[in-house]
Amino acid sequence: MRELSDKELKKLSIDELTHLFVDNINEQNLKLIEGIEFLVDENFEKFTQNLNYVIKTNTEVRIKKAFEAKIFKSKLMFSKADRLKLFNKINDIKNIGEYFANKMLLYKVVFPDKEFKLQIINILKSLETISNDLTKAIKYIGSDLSVAHNICENIKDERRKMRKEEWQMLNRLYNYDMDYLSRTFLYLKELIENIMMLADHIKSFSEYIQFLAIKYLIFD
Amino acid sequence: MAADIISIVVVVLIVLAIALAFSIGANDETLSTLVGAGVIKFKLALLIGGIAVGAGMFSFAFSFVAKTVGADLLGETLTYTDFMLLTVLISSIFWLIIGSFAGIPLSSTHSLVGSIVGVVFVYALTQGDVNPETAFNWVKLNNVILGWFISPTFGLIITYVLFKILAKTYLSRLKGLNQIEKSEKYFKWLLLFAVVFSEIWVGANSGEAVGILYGLFDKGSLNLGSYVFFALICGIASCLGIYIAARYVVRNLASQMIDSRPSEGLITQISSALILMIATLLSLPISHSHVIVFCILGMSLAQRKEVDYKGLGKMGMYWILTFPVAAILAGFIYFGFNLFGLT
Repeated sequence: MRELSDKELKKLSIDELTHLFVDNINEQNLKLIEGIEFLVDENFEKFTQNLNYVIKTNTEVRIKKAFEAKIFKSKLMFSKADRLKLFNKINDIKNIGEYFANKMLLYKVVFPDKEFKLQIINILKSLETISNDLTKAIKYIGSDLSVAHNICENIKDERRKMRKEEWQMLNRLYNYDMDYLSRTFLYLKELIENIMMLADHIKSFSEYIQFLAIKYLIFD
Repeated sequence: MAADIISIVVVVLIVLAIALAFSIGANDETLSTLVGAGVIKFKLALLIGGIAVGAGMFSFAFSFVAKTVGADLLGETLTYTDFMLLTVLISSIFWLIIGSFAGIPLSSTHSLVGSIVGVVFVYALTQGDVNPETAFNWVKLNNVILGWFISPTFGLIITYVLFKILAKTYLSRLKGLNQIEKSEKYFKWLLLFAVVFSEIWVGANSGEAVGILYGLFDKGSLNLGSYVFFALICGIASCLGIYIAARYVVRNLASQMIDSRPSEGLITQISSALILMIATLLSLPISHSHVIVFCILGMSLAQRKEVDYKGLGKMGMYWILTFPVAAILAGFIYFGFNLFGLT
């Protein structure tokens, strides 16, 4: 993604800044997911590289500043508070992603077996899907809230699938005979929980978008 | 000596009428939708609203509600005495103050008309030559009381229907937040006109203050020039009431309406303004706050929002109680004056 100068950022509208921000955060999410996939493949160098990208990238800080300067002066009326909340919720994804990346960099794990790897890849695919869908839903808020609402419904379905996968994985994890490898157990447990933490935030975000749709759309 | 007392009472009545006009402005919350929507600057909104209320109050000083309050509620053979008018003002102000301290929203219109009824009833009973049956203009009084029930009901219906029409023909077609924001920008300017229109009729229907002066004019205590002058002062007082004192209630309510849509505010304002206009042209003093509460209720019903029926019932009980309580209070006060020979 091309980096925009502060001057260019100032010229963007509130909507454009929100879209740019969510694209930026989604890109970091995808890097994080890709990084975990590298970990599954035991490609530790690329794993570290991707996760460090998530931690060190701070383009979104400049976008956030430009957005805040604009929203406080804006003449938007009733949607001002909701737009600010929406933006902050996007920012929360970055915070969770950064926390997730920092934690995962603490150790280089080797996965116990192929089935577990496959399940992690599956859950990561779902995370990628809901992250992309959320980006789409956010972009539809300005133009069509009912489309945004429907996309969020898909996100909730996908997240429900992820929850089932999470129980299966935890079940498998608790039943491995590897008590002697407590770090591996802890790491994998945290990996699953962190993936789900991100998924849960995306799900609660999608519910907020649905709330906005119901709040602003008038049905005859 | 008696003439001196009467002169003092007339002066007191004029001062109280002006104070009442100020308090009418001070309690006016009509501007909150406009301020909440951020259409114009706060002080400018207060100024415009104040001028509209003042203009409405002064322009209708010779007819309609002022005449109803100041003369037409009484039977043909009866005119107010200065002490009757003084009692009406003391009683309604006293009752409103009690309401304010108790945190009960009361209608100044109901309180004033209730006080008039109480005073006239005691006057008829204590003066041998007045028949209580002919002391009132019963048709007018019935119409006024009927208007108190009909006006909120119509406010609810008009708001409900207007919103449904607007929703069906326009609002439901807006899909995205940007489109909604853009259309609401036009609504907020329409809201400005609706609020000014509404304020004019609020002033015109708030005949309590000018009505008392009309009562003085009708019985000859004020000549035409003085009446016009003091009616103008009442208009200015209500304008100042909004500008100086209403800012707190307006700011408070506006902060709660920060995310309300100007289109919704526009419909409630148009509905309440229409009701106030019709009631004024029919010379019926009605309660603005009752009408606006029912307009908001109509809006909630149209949007299928939850309604606090328990709170509404409680409010309704106070509304119904205001009239008899003010009448009884005024009756007692006037009876007290009578004991000292002040009729």
